Amino acid sequence: MSKQKYLVLARNQPSGGQGSRPSPEQMQQMYGAYKAWMEKFKDDILDKGDKLKSNGRLVTASGVADGPFVEAKEVVGGYMIVSAENYDRAVELVRACPAVHAPGALLEIREMAGAKM
Amino acid sequence: MEHYFRHEYGRLVAILSRRVGLPHLEAVEDAVQGALLAALTAWAASGIPADPSAWLYRVAHNELLGVLRKGQGQQRILDGAADQGADGGEDPISPAFAGEVRDELLRMLFVCCDDKIPQESRLVLALKTLCGFSTGEIAFRLFTTEANVYKRLARARERLRQGEIETQTPPLESLRSRLPSVHAVIYLLFNEGYLSTHAEHAIRAELCEEAIRLGTLLATHPVGAAPPTFALLALMHLHAARLASRQDATGGLLLLEEQDRSRWDAEHLREGASWLSRAGQGDELTRFHAEAGIAAEHCFAPSFADTRWDEIAELYAMLERIDPSPIHTLNRAVAVAQGRGPQAGLAVLDGVVPPAWLDGHYLWGAVLADLHRRAGNAATAERHRDQALTAAPSTAVRQLLQRRLAKPGH
Repeated sequence: MSKQKYLVLARNQPSGGQGSRPSPEQMQQMYGAYKAWMEKFKDDILDKGDKLKSNGRLVTASGVADGPFVEAKEVVGGYMIVSAENYDRAVELVRACPAVHAPGALLEIREMAGAKM
Repeated sequence: MEHYFRHEYGRLVAILSRRVGLPHLEAVEDAVQGALLAALTAWAASGIPADPSAWLYRVAHNELLGVLRKGQGQQRILDGAADQGADGGEDPISPAFAGEVRDELLRMLFVCCDDKIPQESRLVLALKTLCGFSTGEIAFRLFTTEANVYKRLARARERLRQGEIETQTPPLESLRSRLPSVHAVIYLLFNEGYLSTHAEHAIRAELCEEAIRLGTLLATHPVGAAPPTFALLALMHLHAARLASRQDATGGLLLLEEQDRSRWDAEHLREGASWLSRAGQGDELTRFHAEAGIAAEHCFAPSFADTRWDEIAELYAMLERIDPSPIHTLNRAVAVAQGRGPQAGLAVLDGVVPPAWLDGHYLWGAVLADLHRRAGNAATAERHRDQALTAAPSTAVRQLLQRRLAKPGH
């Protein structure tokens, strides 16, 4: 069965307070979880993507502004590209990612329109 | 790799707070936290860099300088820090020699033992900065609330903020006078693990291991390489050897005489014996010497029955002279009773009036109940037994007492 490409966007809500910060020991566990996840889905993670820095530029025909807006409820904080047979499989892959459990994490999956594999 | 993140946290906090000054400890801890968080995803995605410690140092260092640059009026401090360590802050060099890292960790340990920091804050500060535990993890380990841990940390940080920069990063040798306080904190840390009633063995062992790790660092540096440090290390190893065998399969506490001696950790026993022989080099006798001697008698006795109780009673008497406390007298009474019978044990306690804290402690009632029962004073034994059971701090201790004090006399 052919696979489609999906763009995964991490739309993170700005973190609330320091109470939820993981401890070094917890981070080490998360590191282990990440590695295991990447190993499990290594054939379907086409681009591990990157984190995005918090400031950028918003460009329109009328000009350029600094952005994203600070008052935004959520900010795109990272991306990656995965492959899957269908949305169900893509969701399965993304839900298994440890990043889902980070406080305020919200992951958006969008099928890429012209990219049949 | 076990506890790598936690120990890197301690290493980086020690090095960076030395570079920028202890008043910035909080900013340092935030930067280190950020670097570990960055490593978490970057390493998982791209593999561990060739020199992970240098990678972490670079990221934490850059983040820290960025934050401090934003701060008002910090320029002078920043310039000083740049001159001192970072050569303009471009590509900082991480201290690479094990000795250098050890020195920074030790300096932080001595900083935690500043006598202007309240006693109950010292342990918490050491657990946070050197051992890399979060406030939540510290609260869980010390059986207290997170708010309480936070309050103790705040007091320590307040003190560190007030200090002058020059006196905040003194040469290690000039801190030698704080050595007894450092010993006390390490021993406290050990006992938090060893005497803890935590059901999880791993939690208790972890605190004991941290105490031994810090004690070993101390013993390998001229500032701490002295017989009292060696005696403390001997004591901790000899206790740690028996840690696992203190509990049965269901988590219940076991008496020394019930423990399976073959389960005692041979490596800890060897280390303990080796440090103990080095502890005997000077003519200084500390409470650690006496306590290590007692632990050694127990550890190297062929069996419970063949323990040299007279030697142990002698060592407890020595402990009473060095560090007078009725708890040592109580322990001596137990040893004497073991060697010479319950009457002799009771005679040791004749005329000892326990202070309120000991009178209400389960140990006092338990020992008296046991000695009187064995001496045939059933009614007096019963009274002390009730007292001990009421005062038992945990279910595990209560079960142990019920089993011990219900046994027919022998």
